[in-house]
Amino acid sequence: MWKSVVYKEWLKIRWFLIGYTLLGILGIGYLFLTVKHGFAFSGGKNVWNSILFMGYQFFSPLKYVPLVGGLTIAIAQYFPETVNKRIKLTFHLPLGENKALLMMHAFGAISLLLSFLVFFGMFAGFSLLYFPVQMVTDSIISIFPWFLAGFAAYFLVALIVLEPEWKFRFYYFVVGGFFLTIYLNSPVTGAYSPANSGLFVLTAFLSIALLFSAYRFRKGEM
Amino acid sequence: MNNVIECNNLTHYYGKKRVYENLNFHVSEGSILGLLGKNGTGKTTTINILNGFLQPRSGECLIFGENTQHLSPRTKARIGFLIEGHIQYSFMNIRQIEKFYSGFYPNWKPAPFWELMSKLNVTPTQKISTMSCGQRSQVALGLILAQDPDLLILDDFSMGLDPGYRRLFIDYLREYAKAENKTIFTTSHIIQDMERLIDDLLIIDFDGVLAQTSVNEFMGSFKRFDFVLENDKTDLKKASFVVNLDKVKNKVELYTYSSESIVKKYLDDNNITVSNFAQVKMGLEDAFIGLTGKY
Repeated sequence: MWKSVVYKEWLKIRWFLIGYTLLGILGIGYLFLTVKHGFAFSGGKNVWNSILFMGYQFFSPLKYVPLVGGLTIAIAQYFPETVNKRIKLTFHLPLGENKALLMMHAFGAISLLLSFLVFFGMFAGFSLLYFPVQMVTDSIISIFPWFLAGFAAYFLVALIVLEPEWKFRFYYFVVGGFFLTIYLNSPVTGAYSPANSGLFVLTAFLSIALLFSAYRFRKGEM
Repeated sequence: MNNVIECNNLTHYYGKKRVYENLNFHVSEGSILGLLGKNGTGKTTTINILNGFLQPRSGECLIFGENTQHLSPRTKARIGFLIEGHIQYSFMNIRQIEKFYSGFYPNWKPAPFWELMSKLNVTPTQKISTMSCGQRSQVALGLILAQDPDLLILDDFSMGLDPGYRRLFIDYLREYAKAENKTIFTTSHIIQDMERLIDDLLIIDFDGVLAQTSVNEFMGSFKRFDFVLENDKTDLKKASFVVNLDKVKNKVELYTYSSESIVKKYLDDNNITVSNFAQVKMGLEDAFIGLTGKY
């Protein structure tokens, strides 16, 4: 049964996931080409000076990459379910409605996670080639909430897309937008250190938000 | 005979607009029941309640004894559901969709699906989104047949189909249902299609149930008499036997469950002079319009 669910979700998102992951890999590659370029042409001393005293973040182009991934995968996965209220087909499958949705959701989140792990691994590996461990650790602390924002965007878009009423979709959009700014707030390296665990818990709570939209759909809200 | 579907005191409103109040009906095992009604009388509402996509304001529907708001996976596996417009996962091709659904149903029978697909001019790798409405209807029907459900719920199955595909759909479905003792609950806007398919009918109007009986019984008891009144001001609506009356000047179409002799006796007793009195043979569509009215 779960194999069928995975199969359907894979058919929906596969090209988006592969395309997004490849673009992300190219983007991170380009990011470190830029770093290498900086070391080669401006000199290590100037790069260090920019990072330590001028607040330069070599990883800042990554800021919205996970967010775009979350939006892309969520739309690719859930928009086809709302066309002609096709979600009825899912709810009619011989398994619990919430179970079916959570299986779909878990597949999407895991796909996103795998893509993010590739980016994260590349980022950490290349960073260690150019920077000391302490600086890489601070960088990871800084980009961690951006990746959480990717998951949060995925969960919130699922909530919005599955919501049957446009009015509620608008409310969720506004509130969701506010939530996402929390993840993308401070530009100071390492500033999110005390907040990351809290953001992780918040994101975990958001992961089941789509069940509310599904409940409203099954009640017949329109 | 067991009731596969049983709806008791079903009441639903959209905001303040009443759809129906205290609607009661049942569908017996092995029967093919058509739900007929004008637009807005609650056909799709009923289908949605039956599938658990809508919570009625009050009352309940049971399918195989389970409340439709909380159908167990086991019961859902026994119900084949055709969504209005033959909606399916159009991003899949027919090979993929057969593979997808087969994982959910232990009694999956691929043969009927592929038999139907062989009648279509499509390739196994052709996406459903690129198929015509008629072809999509056959995909949806084939999937239901492969699922081998005990109950089929079909929401407006003729929507968007040309006459050939409608005939194919109906003939295939009826033969299958009768051979396998399946129960069907269906709606359609095209009454001629229903006439070819259903055994029993449930006609609903804005005031509730107008008729629930077998098609044969209904067609045998519901009659239309045409005549011309000598005095076009004569009011026949007060007659207790009149179910519906369509009067243009002095030409009358009278619909009733009463016999010709009762109608004639009433006319005689009330000194109403008529000419060209005749009983008119009706099809199901004529009878439906006669019962519910043209407006």
